[in-house]
Amino acid sequence: MKKMLAGIIVFGSIWGFAECIIGPMLSDAGFPSGVLMTSIFAVGFMTMTRMMYKQRGMQIGMGLVAGTLKLFNPCGPCVICSGIAIMAEGVIFELIWFSMSLDLKELEIFTMKSSMGVISAYCCFVGGYIVTQILTPFFSAAGFYVIDLINFLPQILSSGLLAAIIGGFMVPIVLVLRDFDIYRVKDRVYYPITAAISLLCWTAVIVSPVLTLGL
Amino acid sequence: MFMGKEQLIPIFAVLVLFIGTGSSVYVYATQGDTVIDADVITIYKQQYTIEKLFTIVEPRAFEALNYSGIALDDLIIKVGVECPTCNNYVIAGGDGYQKTVTWENMQNGLLTSDKMTVFSDLPKAFRVRDIVEIGVIEI
Repeated sequence: MKKMLAGIIVFGSIWGFAECIIGPMLSDAGFPSGVLMTSIFAVGFMTMTRMMYKQRGMQIGMGLVAGTLKLFNPCGPCVICSGIAIMAEGVIFELIWFSMSLDLKELEIFTMKSSMGVISAYCCFVGGYIVTQILTPFFSAAGFYVIDLINFLPQILSSGLLAAIIGGFMVPIVLVLRDFDIYRVKDRVYYPITAAISLLCWTAVIVSPVLTLGL
Repeated sequence: MFMGKEQLIPIFAVLVLFIGTGSSVYVYATQGDTVIDADVITIYKQQYTIEKLFTIVEPRAFEALNYSGIALDDLIIKVGVECPTCNNYVIAGGDGYQKTVTWENMQNGLLTSDKMTVFSDLPKAFRVRDIVEIGVIEI
């Protein structure tokens, strides 16, 4: 349990770091950063931790850590929206993978691995997008209007296609590492490393806007 | 009779790809049908060029956000909307993205020269780009 908590913090922090630092870089370079962040980083990290720690519920925690970290970073297209979307992605991933066995024995053949990647990446991206469109107005002085969401729904469903395709390759790639057992790593190595990485991620995310914006 | 995970998961994956592809075809087809004049915005069922709007509406700037343009509340008054406080306003972009805001939000909003709305009291999700229409809805 203690090892899993440290895992939630370190992988949530790395995910949040990627969203805050790498995401805006991809966006500035003209890449579809939202799609890439969800299909590669979010689904990649969540699949990896599900495979390594063999525990349910961990990905919700990672989403909360990564989303919270995003709220500390004022850079990027929309801080509140991104934070909500990241947290929603953790919950959606958990719901999709809930019925899978802890050792993921169902995912032996490529079709199953790829299918889970397609479903996870598409649902996380589209679901996160929809959840943030619904919840963001509640954190502001404007209301939520269903018609605004319905009119934009085809674009949201359409933009998830690329995420689905990338996810279809990402999950089989991550599952190549399924023989790695995190519980074999010695505590005296595991805890200092997870603490150092987490601290580094949080420091970088909090310090980067100070350096770039001169806050 | 009942299908196992081994059958259901690939079927769901195909369904997801079908939804994504179908939506992409729909978006491409509908946006292809719509001819958007790059300089024109429809406001209260009348068409205005962005240059015209910048000559008749009061300027506004949010220095902290580094944005300047024209005041959205003054724009609504200048285009002749009766009882501006009695309505909500639907701001629609060329890509179908739209947001509904209140008169109070409009009083804290501006329209930039590249046709984007910025509100000082709302999150960035309310920044609609490439605006094609600002509609009026009676409350």
